[in-house]
Amino acid sequence: MDSRKVKGREWCQRGRFALTPQCQGNRPPDTAPDTADTRPADTDSKRPDPRVIFALALFFSGFGVALRDVRFMAALLCLALLCAVLLRVRFKRLFGRFKRLWQVVLMVALLQSLFAPSGLVWLQLWNVPLLTSGGLEKGLLVLFRLALFITSAALFTPYPARALIQAMVQLRLPYEVAYMVSVGIRFIPQLGEELRDSLTALALRGIVIRELKLKQRVKLYSYLLLPVLAASLQNARELAMSLDMRAFRAHPKRTSYYTLTLNRWDWVLLCVILLLTLFAFFAWFAVKSW
Amino acid sequence: MIRFEQVTFAYPNRQDFRLTVDFFASGACTALLGENGSGKTTFGKLAAGILKPDTGRILYDGQDIAGLKLGEIGRQAGYLFQEPARQIFAARPLEEIAFPLELRGMAKPEAEQKARALCEEFELNDTLDQTTYTLSRGEKQRLALAAIMACEPRFLVLDEPTTGLDRRRRELLAATLRRLLARDLGLLVITHDRTFAESLGADPRFIKEGVLLDG
Repeated sequence: MDSRKVKGREWCQRGRFALTPQCQGNRPPDTAPDTADTRPADTDSKRPDPRVIFALALFFSGFGVALRDVRFMAALLCLALLCAVLLRVRFKRLFGRFKRLWQVVLMVALLQSLFAPSGLVWLQLWNVPLLTSGGLEKGLLVLFRLALFITSAALFTPYPARALIQAMVQLRLPYEVAYMVSVGIRFIPQLGEELRDSLTALALRGIVIRELKLKQRVKLYSYLLLPVLAASLQNARELAMSLDMRAFRAHPKRTSYYTLTLNRWDWVLLCVILLLTLFAFFAWFAVKSW
Repeated sequence: MIRFEQVTFAYPNRQDFRLTVDFFASGACTALLGENGSGKTTFGKLAAGILKPDTGRILYDGQDIAGLKLGEIGRQAGYLFQEPARQIFAARPLEEIAFPLELRGMAKPEAEQKARALCEEFELNDTLDQTTYTLSRGEKQRLALAAIMACEPRFLVLDEPTTGLDRRRRELLAATLRRLLARDLGLLVITHDRTFAESLGADPRFIKEGVLLDG
């Protein structure tokens, strides 16, 4: 069985989800009355409700877009990283998987630093400023901003897709949209696998990609798109048929077997996020007017 | 000839499975038979260089393939995936066969001529005006085979080639493979279908729980 499915099921069993009253009514009489008794001491259920994470990600990404000050951005990034550590985000895996992305982020920061020189010149070559205080600040701002966005997205990674869908549904997002998002997430690893298979199949046709010229490489990558696109269309068609067979969208509302419940600590965290937002707003306006 | 010298392989996320093989393809065609999960596909992927062994060596005519890039291995060995659609890249059958040849430096008219000859040989002439996406499974499989053969490999690994084919299509495929065998091509056929293996005159080898059985 798919490990993600197992993880999702375990997560549901560990107490973060509660059974809806309708579903409790359908429970066979000999089963346990609630899931609370099956909650282990240290489980995923100790993590905050996914809706708290949505609020947190909104806070980080919103201020990540608005802020222009590198010190504030650095402070915000530190806070985001602290949250990620507390949520036990697996950084090693994340860095490994998005190695190329981090390289691009660093490159963007470097280019920003080189092409937007201002302030004190620290290093120059033939009167061309290479490293300036203003350029470095702008480069760092871009670096911190992109790192903040990636860290905000990473806050969701410890949660199973089922919990995130349920959070979206309970945040009054139409369930069709929530399912579309989850389907998108579900297909990302599958697309990666198909792309890897296609690259393998291409290499087995005697093509050594590193030996190709740039023009040939571009042509080659265009060929890679066809099998991936064809497989995606096929998957989408099959999934659509499967959803139709289960009467998806036959009714305007759906009841869920499991629902999320905000506990006392979730409310405390939501209040903290709200206070932080207000504080950051005031600080931002104060600095701007000053 | 493909030779496995005391090869072991285990997937990092599957501790319960370990392949241990000492294998030598004694004839032109070898059929690897076994139950689901016995390690047939893993064996095939090792033979084609897609997976690298943890220990031991895999030799093509005495040459160790450990130091070779997959593209370099691909010039000696072809691999037909179970799902042929995964290895079809171009929109038209002729282009599918010709484009790797062009990327490898062959002139366009020459590559196209070779592609036409292969389409003729693999009975794909009726499909030339179609897009590859709309081809039937059997046609996709023949096209994938033709595209592999365009690279003139010395060995060919076929992973469950009879999946989804009816009896007539299976016979057609067997006839095509017999033709290839006549060209001194080494074949490794991974299959459940013993009748199909027999129709190729293959040397049957059995694999169980990652271990190649004798005889």
